[in-house]
Amino acid sequence: MTISSFVLFWAAIFTSNILLTNFLGMCSFLSVSKEVESSFGLGVAVFFVLTITTGLNYLVYHLILVPLGLVYLQFIIFIIVIAAFVQLLELVIERYAPALYYSLGIYLPLITVNCAIFGVSLFMVIRNYSFVQSISFGAGSGIGWLLAILMLSGIRSKLKEKLVPVGLQGAGISLIITGIMALAFIGFSGIVNVQ
Amino acid sequence: MIIQIAKDILITCGISAFLAFILTLAQKYLNNYGICKIDINGKRSIDVEGGSSLLNSLTDKQVFLPSACGGRGSCGTCKCKVVSGGGPVLPTEKPFLSSTELSNGIRLSCQVKIKSDIRIDIPEAIFNIRKYRAVVHEILDYTYDIKGITFKMIEPGQIDFKTGQYVQLETKPYGKVKQKTVRAYSISSKPQEKDRVQLIIRLVPEGICTTWVHNHLQVGDEVNITGPYGDFYLRDTKADIIFVAGGSGKAPIKSMLEDLQVVGTTRKMTYFFGARDVKDLYLTEEMYAYEKVFDDFKYEPVLSHCNPECQWDGKRGYVMPYFKDAIIDPKNTEAYLCGSPGMINAVTKGLKELGVPADKIYFDSFG
Amino acid sequence: MKETPQESKIIARMQAGVITLNGFLGSDTRHLHEIIAEDAKVLSALGTSQSEIADRMQYFSDASFESYDTPVFIEDNYEVETDVVRGKLPCPFSHAGLYRKTLTTLHNRANGISVRWTALSIHMIREHGFFEGIGSPFRLDPQKLYKALFT
Repeated sequence: MTISSFVLFWAAIFTSNILLTNFLGMCSFLSVSKEVESSFGLGVAVFFVLTITTGLNYLVYHLILVPLGLVYLQFIIFIIVIAAFVQLLELVIERYAPALYYSLGIYLPLITVNCAIFGVSLFMVIRNYSFVQSISFGAGSGIGWLLAILMLSGIRSKLKEKLVPVGLQGAGISLIITGIMALAFIGFSGIVNVQ
Repeated sequence: MIIQIAKDILITCGISAFLAFILTLAQKYLNNYGICKIDINGKRSIDVEGGSSLLNSLTDKQVFLPSACGGRGSCGTCKCKVVSGGGPVLPTEKPFLSSTELSNGIRLSCQVKIKSDIRIDIPEAIFNIRKYRAVVHEILDYTYDIKGITFKMIEPGQIDFKTGQYVQLETKPYGKVKQKTVRAYSISSKPQEKDRVQLIIRLVPEGICTTWVHNHLQVGDEVNITGPYGDFYLRDTKADIIFVAGGSGKAPIKSMLEDLQVVGTTRKMTYFFGARDVKDLYLTEEMYAYEKVFDDFKYEPVLSHCNPECQWDGKRGYVMPYFKDAIIDPKNTEAYLCGSPGMINAVTKGLKELGVPADKIYFDSFG
Repeated sequence: MKETPQESKIIARMQAGVITLNGFLGSDTRHLHEIIAEDAKVLSALGTSQSEIADRMQYFSDASFESYDTPVFIEDNYEVETDVVRGKLPCPFSHAGLYRKTLTTLHNRANGISVRWTALSIHMIREHGFFEGIGSPFRLDPQKLYKALFT
């Protein structure tokens, strides 16, 4: 691939937003977006996990799996790497930011099975990114996810006092808002196409 | 072929093992806070293993800070002053702390995690509070809904308390109740009997502890009791005394009278026992017997719900109208009230109207 | 919608034996959300609100607070009595605060309906619109409660 890492970074945020364009990572996005503060915390956690695990998985893939002919084991190995890193992140957050640890609750370990994380690592393999491209793509996807969850939580907090039809309260209106945000992001798609 | 498969499996296991190794190291380092020192009141210092809450670490070392919810962060009773070393205030603590408390360093000890050396200030009375293993020695049925239970202390074998104080009884799981709960009851026995406490417990509808006590507790059962707590006690003066307590509120008064019988007193005392009906009266003979024991003691049961046909030729209605006959020198009278906040409000008004000073009216309101 | 961890915690605290002997959900098979939503529908059909009902309950509890051991007669129609036992209960909705164990019993002489509630009930109705599940010993049916309090 000859796309510059810089362009890849921005594309991952806007034109190929992992959440609003590829619809990956929706479950904790919908649940935690009730509050802006915990959304920000979770978004930052997802950013760290995405950036670092994409890099780690690149190294594992190209330095271990490919030379040793273990490419067919990439799924299980990627998941193990992601799980170990999220476990480590949880220990660090519990020690150094206990307030954040309490407000995230179960959604912190659930990052392990967030399909956005695994998805970005798989894209990295499928599209054959270099190491720098992988890091940029991972970081950009993380920021894109953070941006999306911040926007949704901001809108939801403004909606708290408004009259939403009873049948649409909660999941219904959140999905509608997400769909409208995705439509808005389609407007960016003309800038660059990386997938 | 088999070698190939074995090699692949080995490498996969190798990667997992390596990651598990990194995590074990991280866990040892990150979750290990080492031995931390808790400095109490600048006088006493205890060493604990870091990582637990301040409340639990203190409890492990037999220093019992009060807690109504068992350290779950829902009651706010375990407040204590942290002079240094408590870390930042957690969102789980903020709802319970006023801005004055926050600026004075007051924290919820069940939420403060001990990660380093810490200095705290707690009231001296806390040091007398212990956790006791006790056994049910005797169960007396006083009325249709009140029982008197005597517990004998096993370990420690003796308890030191003042009349008027209360203990916390821990329930054991039973029936639908899967967790233990703690409830407070006043001690009704005299402090001279150091190896036991008697509690007077009334069955409360939907009550977790009272249902357990009334329906499940048997003589010989072992329980856990923590205490003594409370600062409702008889002041050592020569003033006249008015006691007002109905139902299970009789407990601290009984303790006070039994103690006075041992140490002796010449004070003028009147005990107004407010109840609804004849079936709510109990320990009546014992109370009337005190009229012969003390120089000047009168027991005055007053029934509020006794309809004209019921067998009662004693006083009826509320207790307040009968005060004026019992109070000779209002400025030299102390009142000890034990009961619901509504009763305490009403009785306090009545006493103040008769000239009893507000600072001589002591009460153990039901929380 | 998936249940948030907070909601699972709240429902766990409403089970029998955690805060009260028989819990707050009784034998109701509906989810907490449904119980609150359906009771809310009844309230709007009656033309009243959570705060109006809670205020009225508080009014009766306050008026009978000092008359321990005997009922008071209010507005010539309501026989109200309040009893308090020692201790406080937390709210199952997992926020700060403890509520006195106050039990108020109201008997409406005109229509003969009797209801009883606690200080915690008033709070749960006012702040959470929660009347407890069917089968809970302290469930207040909104229709019956309204008739007892206002007619």
